[in-house]
Amino acid sequence: MRRRVGGILDGVDNRTPGPPVAGMVDPAHPPSRRAPLRWAVGSAAWWLLLAAGQLVWVEFDKRMPWLHILVGVVTVLGAVISVAVVPLWRYRVHRWEIGPQAVYARTGWLVQERRIAPISRVQTVDTHRGPLDRLFGLANVTVTTASSAGAVHIVALDVDVADHLVAQLTDIAAIGAEDAT
Amino acid sequence: MTLPAPPEIAWQRLSPRMMLVHPVHELLRELPWLIGAVILGSTTGNQFWTVAVLVFTAGVGVARWYTTSYRIDADPESGQVQLRTGLLQRKVLSLPRNRIRSVQSDARLLHRLLGLAVLRVSTGQEAKGENSSGVFELNAVRVEQVPRLRAILLAGSAQPADAAAAVPAAEGTVLARWQPSWLRYAPLSVSGLLTIAAAAGVVYESGAVGPLRHSRLVESGLDAAQRLGVAGTAAVIAALVLLASVVLAVLRSLLTFGNLVLLRQADVLHLRHGLLRLRERAYDMSRLRGATLRQPLLVRAFGGARLDAVMTGVHGAGESSVLLPPCPVATTEAVLIELIGDRDVVTGPLRGHGRRAAARRWTRALGLPLLMGSAMAVATVVDGISVVPVWLWPAWVAVTAWCALLAADRVSALGHRVDGRWLVMRAGSFERRRDCLATAGIIGWTVRQSPLQRRAGVATLVAATAAGIKRYPLIDVPENEVWAVAAEASPWVADSIWAIR
Repeated sequence: MRRRVGGILDGVDNRTPGPPVAGMVDPAHPPSRRAPLRWAVGSAAWWLLLAAGQLVWVEFDKRMPWLHILVGVVTVLGAVISVAVVPLWRYRVHRWEIGPQAVYARTGWLVQERRIAPISRVQTVDTHRGPLDRLFGLANVTVTTASSAGAVHIVALDVDVADHLVAQLTDIAAIGAEDAT
Repeated sequence: MTLPAPPEIAWQRLSPRMMLVHPVHELLRELPWLIGAVILGSTTGNQFWTVAVLVFTAGVGVARWYTTSYRIDADPESGQVQLRTGLLQRKVLSLPRNRIRSVQSDARLLHRLLGLAVLRVSTGQEAKGENSSGVFELNAVRVEQVPRLRAILLAGSAQPADAAAAVPAAEGTVLARWQPSWLRYAPLSVSGLLTIAAAAGVVYESGAVGPLRHSRLVESGLDAAQRLGVAGTAAVIAALVLLASVVLAVLRSLLTFGNLVLLRQADVLHLRHGLLRLRERAYDMSRLRGATLRQPLLVRAFGGARLDAVMTGVHGAGESSVLLPPCPVATTEAVLIELIGDRDVVTGPLRGHGRRAAARRWTRALGLPLLMGSAMAVATVVDGISVVPVWLWPAWVAVTAWCALLAADRVSALGHRVDGRWLVMRAGSFERRRDCLATAGIIGWTVRQSPLQRRAGVATLVAATAAGIKRYPLIDVPENEVWAVAAEASPWVADSIWAIR
């Protein structure tokens, strides 16, 4: 689903120099409560595939048992970390919020990003739902601007929250047709 | 400017002289084919094949001219420019006129001999959808028509109806003119080496190596090599390659940029250069979002710099954004000041990123050498003096010293400067760059932290724009200043509900 959104130029630009900005509070809203589960299942699938490959390998090649054990330990460790630890970590980091002028989101786990984009420059609002997202009733929203480096990704939202968000963004932004570059 | 008024604008053809150019280019492109045909002709004793291929190629050229046409709608706001091409498969390429951001013309040698030029139009949008799957290219029109067409095409973008009217007549101000002294920066690039590599590749591919091997030149070369020994031969070959690459690079630079003129006419920036292949670009100044002063290490060592435009609708990297090739840094700064209109933005002092950012530069540069050094020391202590070859120690010292210099250089480069109108970012040693971005063009901010950056209390700030290379990172800004920079540049960050005052 893709909605084309026009842009408005910020009407107010009375650059009264206020006190310098000391920082930014984090955006308010967490993703869906089902998000960690969805992330865990998503990465578990890959690790299972890898484990299956290793079982096949063990079946056909029984030399060097120490190598099998080493690889097995690495796989189990990786799987535990990415299925149990990473989703919860991501859930603690991921936040999003729509303000009157801007969209702000925080993502990542090990490497963390905060990204903010002005709503007046929003070009499109995309909703994306993969098979797993459907299974868990989730949706991902991408807010794009004219810069390929400035798209704000808000992932793993409840479907109704995502729909509301898209409607809200379209409402705020849909006046005029500046080319937003 | 005069445009045909009726609502249905007639389709116009390209210059009929292209019937001469296309076949020749076609022949060059189909050279392997042609050689095949000639060989086939001479082996079978029947020249029919050669003639048939020639006729076919010429026929394609004529047909292409006949089937290609273009038109420009009169209304600059809602009108379109359209290009109709295709012999068997008809294709119509349409661009809205108000999306045109830059117009460039390009004339290769053959085009110039015939008084023709290729006109290329680029828009802000990346190629999207079926109607813009190709480049909008008029190949070719009469060179006398180019200024008029360019004025018409650029008149549609933004507002400057007055600029368009002024273009054909006004002289404009010359911002920079090529000087012979610029040639001294040419050998410092790798373009000569690349040319040699490409030429070697072509020679090797074409199978000319076989006969060459038995030629007298190569035989005498081999004799000389035997007399010199391996090291001597390698040195001689290296010297020859170096010399050839320097000569080629200088020659290439001269041919590409000799006679370069950068001039500004009202709201349009004109760049023209090329001795053999003449290239002309016209940029809409209202799309200029800043510029990047780039200083590769060697060029910087000789007091040079190059200038790239940061512009929407123009690809940020590579040739299309070049405003000035390597030239004295004073020239690039003068041009940039002229374009930006603010001396401090271009040459003013920057705010450094502090102790922690510096420490990160040092640990990155010296971490590996120190690790290796201690490993070598431990090995010497444990296994005796003979384990580590003696020459390794001076080499290690040299590498470490070099890394230290690199770190010091990177530390001294890193900095930024921000006010309500301009964001300046400088970084790098090998490829030092000073990006000057108009804050009005910044349409997104990213603050990124790796675990190590979180521990050091610094963050990477990325300004997103629709212009240039789109992503302009500023590394290792102190955590407590990072949002202040963004807020200073963008009022919509400062006024957002998340800002802490």
